Amino acid sequence: MTTTKTMTTKRLTIDPITRLEGHGKIEIFLDNDGNVANTYFQIPELRGFERFCVGRPIEEMAIITNRICGVCPEAHHMAAAKAADAVYRVDPPPTAKMLRELLYSAFYVTDHTTHFYALGGPDFIMGPDAPVAERNILGVIHKVGLETASKVIQCRKIGHTVVEIIGGRKVHPCTSIPGGLTKGITEDQRVEIEKMGRWAIDFAQFSLKLFNEIVLGNKAYVDLIVGDIYTHKTYYIGTVDANNKVNFYDGKVSVVDPEGTRIGMYAGGEYMDWIAERVEPWTYLKFPYLKKVGWQGFVDGKNSGVYCATPLSRLNAADGMATPRAQEEYERFYATLGGKPVHQRLATHWARLIELLYAAERWVELATDPQITSGDFHTIPTNMPSEGVGIVEAPRGTLTHHYWTDERGIVTKANLIVGTTNNYAPMSMSIKKAAQAFIKKGVVVTEGLLNRVEMAFRPYDPCFGCATHSLPGQMPLALTVRDAEGNIVAELSQHTDSCTMRP
Amino acid sequence: MRVLILGLGNPILGDDAVGIRVAESLRGLPWASNIEVDSACCGGLRLMERLIGYDVAVLVDAICSGAQPPGAIHHLTPGDLPTQHTASSHDATLPTAMRLAEALWLPVPRRIDIVAIEAERVLDFGEKLSPAVQAALPRARQAVLQILRQQGIPAPDFGGDAEIAGAPSSRVVPNAIA
Repeated sequence: MTTTKTMTTKRLTIDPITRLEGHGKIEIFLDNDGNVANTYFQIPELRGFERFCVGRPIEEMAIITNRICGVCPEAHHMAAAKAADAVYRVDPPPTAKMLRELLYSAFYVTDHTTHFYALGGPDFIMGPDAPVAERNILGVIHKVGLETASKVIQCRKIGHTVVEIIGGRKVHPCTSIPGGLTKGITEDQRVEIEKMGRWAIDFAQFSLKLFNEIVLGNKAYVDLIVGDIYTHKTYYIGTVDANNKVNFYDGKVSVVDPEGTRIGMYAGGEYMDWIAERVEPWTYLKFPYLKKVGWQGFVDGKNSGVYCATPLSRLNAADGMATPRAQEEYERFYATLGGKPVHQRLATHWARLIELLYAAERWVELATDPQITSGDFHTIPTNMPSEGVGIVEAPRGTLTHHYWTDERGIVTKANLIVGTTNNYAPMSMSIKKAAQAFIKKGVVVTEGLLNRVEMAFRPYDPCFGCATHSLPGQMPLALTVRDAEGNIVAELSQHTDSCTMRP
Repeated sequence: MRVLILGLGNPILGDDAVGIRVAESLRGLPWASNIEVDSACCGGLRLMERLIGYDVAVLVDAICSGAQPPGAIHHLTPGDLPTQHTASSHDATLPTAMRLAEALWLPVPRRIDIVAIEAERVLDFGEKLSPAVQAALPRARQAVLQILRQQGIPAPDFGGDAEIAGAPSSRVVPNAIA
């Protein structure tokens, strides 16, 4: 990229930020007045997955794509399973769809619980200026007690158990095949699953109550949530069912503008009519945006195609929640924050808890459906395979798997848009805005800068290629501020226990 | 006493699979019934949960410390890890997860050793280990077996590696901050 100083003809070229190995980096460039001109957010990305798929049978995708993400393998499994159904143009029987959605609901409960208590929650429960060492699940326990921590572990345990019962394996489900599943569940298993689901509903309500008391009951936190620093008016997308209520497993993707007006919906292969990718010279990451609106840069507003895909987004893009307790919370959420849509990014943490409650209620709904134990869980595909798209809501955003195959069902091409990718643009914008509050006229307030910048992207629950696993895990987040000539003005880095940039 | 040898990694992410490969090669040995060999792709909280119920654990994993060339073997404990292990932005780190386990009185191992193999490529999807990491497999296996024997836990010989001598490199604490 090139920075030009207006007073002289000096041109300064800064090399494109090269691929990072192992840590996230934020580069902030100041203008001649010392204010933030541009912010670049670089994260490592895993390479070559689409290429890796080529030559493999489509049936394998639901098992292989498990491995893209260390934390949401279930999401990739489901998207790949649905894509395989689409490739064969086969419709699984209702029991298969219900079992998949039941597994998925339990997974959501686990994932959202973990995020709230281990990651997002600490920002509030401990306070955004608490030392890094305390802003993690241990700090949370000190504040809310060991019993709550026990419940978190218990919640994870029951969620994993359901995934294992239906998905065949604890972490990486393997029972989805084109046309449905390889197995169903027995009545004994159903009873166990139902019981665990009812516990999950109680726990979800407990968590919302905790949020109410600790966060909403604290004026400083409320001011932070509704404040301008963490507010962006963008488009929002999320999957909805036939009644336009939030659904994680299936439906159509609803797209609403910054005023909350729905501009359309898409399903399957139609995503290509809606989502385009913007290439920027300073990064290998591509920024999805809404094609029909167009790219205007990293800006808010109705004319900017930047969109967001998060729990907040899903609530904004839907007309409500499909289960009663979650619907009550949905209404309270919007009533408290001044109507739809809500643009304050920190409210995503609250939206996540509402989704947690819905997931638990849906878990019980499905577990008590008379068809859930039926032996009809697979339809044999008979059509020639060719091309198909599977879309699900990963906890961190709309997940799209698109495969092309030959007539034998061998993958010839693949395209994946993972949850977090949807949010690259809004995340960059959120970081910039947070940084601007701490950097004015060349003065960089380093105290708290990193904390507040982290708070800016944590609500998005970003998934930075977390499929890699190697020690030592993480480099810290590194942030560099440069003046208009490119000289480094400030350099900060910080270990965070619960937030790491590691792939 | 229950012992767990756990290979950690992602089987389709190049050198990130090394922990799993080491564990898979040890699985078929004639272990006593109280010793379990397994592999997993998890970290943080999930890893801690996997360790519940064991007295001793030996984890095998790839490492990117940059302090040694690819293929070098480190012998670490969770206390050596600067902050994170398989950290993602939606999980706790292993040290934190272990402190949580202690706070909740969960029966996690009283001793955890980590055999960490310096990796070359962990960001590219692929099913092969790079040559230096592949060549390190015998030394990594021996490191696991020696760690067990040092604690008085009987460990069978791995036939093909019988001639490989030497302990793993001395404790190296990876650089945490660039």
